[in-house]
Amino acid sequence: MSNQTTERRPWSFLTELPANVWHSIFRNPLPQSDVGRSSTSFTNFFLHIQPVKVHRHSLRLTYTWGLGLMAFFLFLILSVTGVLLMFYYVPSTTQAYDRMLDLRGTVAFGIFLRNMHRWAAHGMVAVVFLHMCRVFLTGAYKRPREFNWVLGVGLFLLTMFASFTGYLLPWDQLAFWAITVGTSIASYAPVFGKDVKFLLLGDASVGQEALLRFYVLHVAVLPLIMSVLVAVHFWRVRKDGGLSRPPEEDEKFPEPEPIAAAAAADASVVTTVSAVTLKAPLEKKTYGIQGIVRGPFTKIGNVPDGSVFSWPNLLLLELLVFLVTVAGVLIVSMYFNAPLEEPVNIMHPPNPAKAPWYFLGLQEMVSYSAFWGGVGIPTIEVILLLLVPYLDRKPVGVGKWFAKERLLANSLFMTFVVVNIVLMVVGTFFRGPNWEFVSPW
Amino acid sequence: MAKEPVMPSAEESGEAITRRKLLSWLTGMGVFGSVLVSAFSNFIFIKPRATYGQPNRFSIGKPEDYPAGSRMTLDARRICVVRDGDRMAAISTTCTHLGCIVATSETGFACPCHGSRYDQDGNVTGGPAPKRLPWFQVRLAPNGELEIDKDIEIEPGTYYNV
Repeated sequence: MSNQTTERRPWSFLTELPANVWHSIFRNPLPQSDVGRSSTSFTNFFLHIQPVKVHRHSLRLTYTWGLGLMAFFLFLILSVTGVLLMFYYVPSTTQAYDRMLDLRGTVAFGIFLRNMHRWAAHGMVAVVFLHMCRVFLTGAYKRPREFNWVLGVGLFLLTMFASFTGYLLPWDQLAFWAITVGTSIASYAPVFGKDVKFLLLGDASVGQEALLRFYVLHVAVLPLIMSVLVAVHFWRVRKDGGLSRPPEEDEKFPEPEPIAAAAAADASVVTTVSAVTLKAPLEKKTYGIQGIVRGPFTKIGNVPDGSVFSWPNLLLLELLVFLVTVAGVLIVSMYFNAPLEEPVNIMHPPNPAKAPWYFLGLQEMVSYSAFWGGVGIPTIEVILLLLVPYLDRKPVGVGKWFAKERLLANSLFMTFVVVNIVLMVVGTFFRGPNWEFVSPW
Repeated sequence: MAKEPVMPSAEESGEAITRRKLLSWLTGMGVFGSVLVSAFSNFIFIKPRATYGQPNRFSIGKPEDYPAGSRMTLDARRICVVRDGDRMAAISTTCTHLGCIVATSETGFACPCHGSRYDQDGNVTGGPAPKRLPWFQVRLAPNGELEIDKDIEIEPGTYYNV
């Protein structure tokens, strides 16, 4: 742009080199106008994942608490620290534990990376669960977001499974007996139980084969599946019309009449294809992209609709959540070391042998009945969770915390949450040797 | 594709199965079936045909190593070798609840993980264990050593005379 008036010198390509390289990567200057903000979002791969405009209601931190983003950022932290740890880890029964000690003793930042990985993993299980609670208590799973809820439940289970497979890798007493107990629970499943256990362990009991299998699942299979599902989950958030919000938020800004509607001779056709109210596509008409995309972000022109540009409003909030997440993980990792018990001794189960805290509710139930506690009730719970958006079809109370109209649904869900948390607390603090009741005080 | 595809006539587009419908259906089923078969073959692949861990049939030494009236636990093998006079038996020490190793107690066996209890013969006397501890086949191998096969469960209370 600037060289049009000035005379070009032979070496000008050299003096302009930095600017040319910069502009070839970032095609827009920092945006000063709405058009600039749009094209910044459009022309950058990473920004293009975000919508250009986002509804004001979606930006309220007190609505989402940033939990979904937080879970995603924890997943990123886990990926990065996990890959770094892979440079030193060997999935071998004779070497794994020594490598843990090396992380402590000789590897630069080894203990810190392991702490970050361990605490971010615990955090991710908790945050994914809290995110699920947020979505339920605000009724956000209702039409048209049913399938995204199902994907979310799948991601929750995958998070638990990824955490479970990672639990074995240090090859200490905690790891060995937690996985022995955990895979035995799986063997109680009807019909396929024994086969599932054998496939997981690759042998009759936990050993080298199991360590290798859990390693492959933990570092390759599960992260890959989760990445794909996370991508679909995000994509569906946008395609389902952004984050849920109460209908009142949209009523403040009624749909503008389609511009062509007044002028067009066949008014009925035009209003039918207006971007937002499209019901049944007409057979013979050729549609532009806006004609078939659902949702509130495809309006042409600058109409008042309660939305603001993602740059910088959404991006700054995302940055805030990212910083809070990273800071949290760093601080916890500085003060608390990831536990490492004695090396595996297959002849001496610790007394009591406890699973990770998020499975202790399960283990508590298992101490009453292995089938019902470990397989029956959890399966019923998962099926109910998956069916929630298909059982609860009333489109009321969406987008509000603890909506009055949803008192029954929310009470049932909170009962489910509280019962599981109580079981977890009992399993964690009130069970001693031989799994007998003890007082934590 | 110079020729326009022939549109199905009114009677063909009805319920009747046309050649096109049949072929599409067969193609679809073929593709879907192949996907199912290849997915299933992955499970066959990851199910090991040979395992690398401890063998289930092993020797535990000569009968003289076990004095009469003794109950000796071999934790590495996860069995308890019982000798009652000239009769011998091998009882599993893997808890039938969730796979921990049961410890011997005064009354029989007790599991440290979830508190299952068994009597001297492995019958459940308390806790969440759903089944009794199994008994394994004991026999004298030609070289005079006792051989135990954990793949063969025998009727509890059946002893082997040495």
